[in-house]
Amino acid sequence: MISRRQFVKDAALAGAAGALGYGRELLAAEPPPETTRIRLIEITGICIAPQYVARDLLHGEGFTDVQYFKAVAGIATAKAVAAGNADISINFVAPFLIQLDAGDPIILLGGIHAGCFVLFGTERVRAVRDLKGKTVGVQALGSSQHVFLASMMAHVGLDAKKDVNWATHPSSESMRLLAEGKIDAFLGFPPDPQELRAKKIGRVIVDSGKDRPWSQYFCCMVGGNRDFVRKHPVATKRALRAILKASNLCALEPQRAARLIADRGYDYDYSLETLKDIPYDKWRDYDAEDSVRFYALRLQEAGMIKSSPQKIIAKGTDFRFLNELRKELKA
Amino acid sequence: MIFLRGFLVATLALFGAQAWGHAAKASGRLPMIGAAPAFALTSQAGDRVALADLRGKVIAVTFIYATCKDTCPVLTAKMAMIQRKLGADFGPRVRFASITVEPEVDTPAVLKAYADAHSADLAGWSFLTGPSAEIQDVVKRYGAFAKRVKPGDVDHLFLTSLIDRKGMLRVQYLGYRFDPDEMLRDLRALLRE
Repeated sequence: MISRRQFVKDAALAGAAGALGYGRELLAAEPPPETTRIRLIEITGICIAPQYVARDLLHGEGFTDVQYFKAVAGIATAKAVAAGNADISINFVAPFLIQLDAGDPIILLGGIHAGCFVLFGTERVRAVRDLKGKTVGVQALGSSQHVFLASMMAHVGLDAKKDVNWATHPSSESMRLLAEGKIDAFLGFPPDPQELRAKKIGRVIVDSGKDRPWSQYFCCMVGGNRDFVRKHPVATKRALRAILKASNLCALEPQRAARLIADRGYDYDYSLETLKDIPYDKWRDYDAEDSVRFYALRLQEAGMIKSSPQKIIAKGTDFRFLNELRKELKA
Repeated sequence: MIFLRGFLVATLALFGAQAWGHAAKASGRLPMIGAAPAFALTSQAGDRVALADLRGKVIAVTFIYATCKDTCPVLTAKMAMIQRKLGADFGPRVRFASITVEPEVDTPAVLKAYADAHSADLAGWSFLTGPSAEIQDVVKRYGAFAKRVKPGDVDHLFLTSLIDRKGMLRVQYLGYRFDPDEMLRDLRALLRE
């Protein structure tokens, strides 16, 4: 929301420039970012690939100091953004919403892609409803997997707090336990689904990239620290532009993007599979606000947030930059 | 207070609305991103070509390299199709500049052969090379990137930038799967301004 003081200042500037005969060019030229430092999150997963691929593009946008802060995907990432340990980051939207509901200073800026999560089960699990009474592996309570699965369970009438036994392990351990039949299901995000498929472990129960309604909404969105966004609107737009361009690169040139990700230490083959599996070119097409609304409703059903979707949208989103970039970047 | 607000809105409408890039939605004009980054590079003919020399024409700047086997030829073929559709406007009123991202391999002679292979009309289309550092600087300032994997193999972002007759960057096309008719419409819209 633009302040009255800012509105008057902008209006006076626009009016004066028009009166003095300056053209559009003077006012419209995008200034350099207000800060040359940008801090993003690095997680163990690859689904936020555009954030890694964007490094050189961020330099091109005027950020001379591009830093990555290591965090666990999910609530920990949302908290890191809210705390200012990172300025901006892709993350699963639901943890962002949970922290927004808790009052954290986060602003959602746009969507990146759908389709990160794949639920694998043993032969004992054929549908999400079959999870009742079963043991499910997740990285941690509050991790992206836990929150996503809680949303899915709420959608079919299960209570994530009492209807399943959560087994918290690192993903590699959960995948081993699934293979040995010691847990009943595991929700993975890249590169876990790619590895499970390659090793033919478990069966796919839900693929959020293909199965409705999950496939119709962004799972991963870009969020920024509210103070950073307010104080650095040019930097915010420039950082978002770099991430969106990188997202298109992931979609169009997966081999090249996978090489860049592998340079950061990730497995090339799983990175490539991930980039081919996930629709990274949908940032223009899907509706970011609808995605926020969809997940806010799911989280309400799961008892994980109290705020209405409208309240979350009003206080925790700003899609102006995205809307501007949609016009500036065609594909 | 209401009067003041009304006055400011009217002032904006009178002077400012066209001055802000985001007036594009209301007017249907392309957005105004900013001044197009300048460059002065060497063409396939060995001539110096500077963006400033092209002022007054609508320009499409893109990044390619001649040994790119899969995607650059798709992009260049698409641009060649747009070149043909522009008819008499191509050359006198619209110019293309394809800048190599592999300057150590793409000499003017290599670029000339690449241009000929794609039926580029060199009266309106320059294929540009230069020192690696200068090319990298241009790539960066246009918001693209290029990283050499090995000689003749470059990871890069496909980005085609449309520049208006006053030298302002107006829109960028990502990738090579864009609709050429949409780009044609945008080029013609810039000609009409």
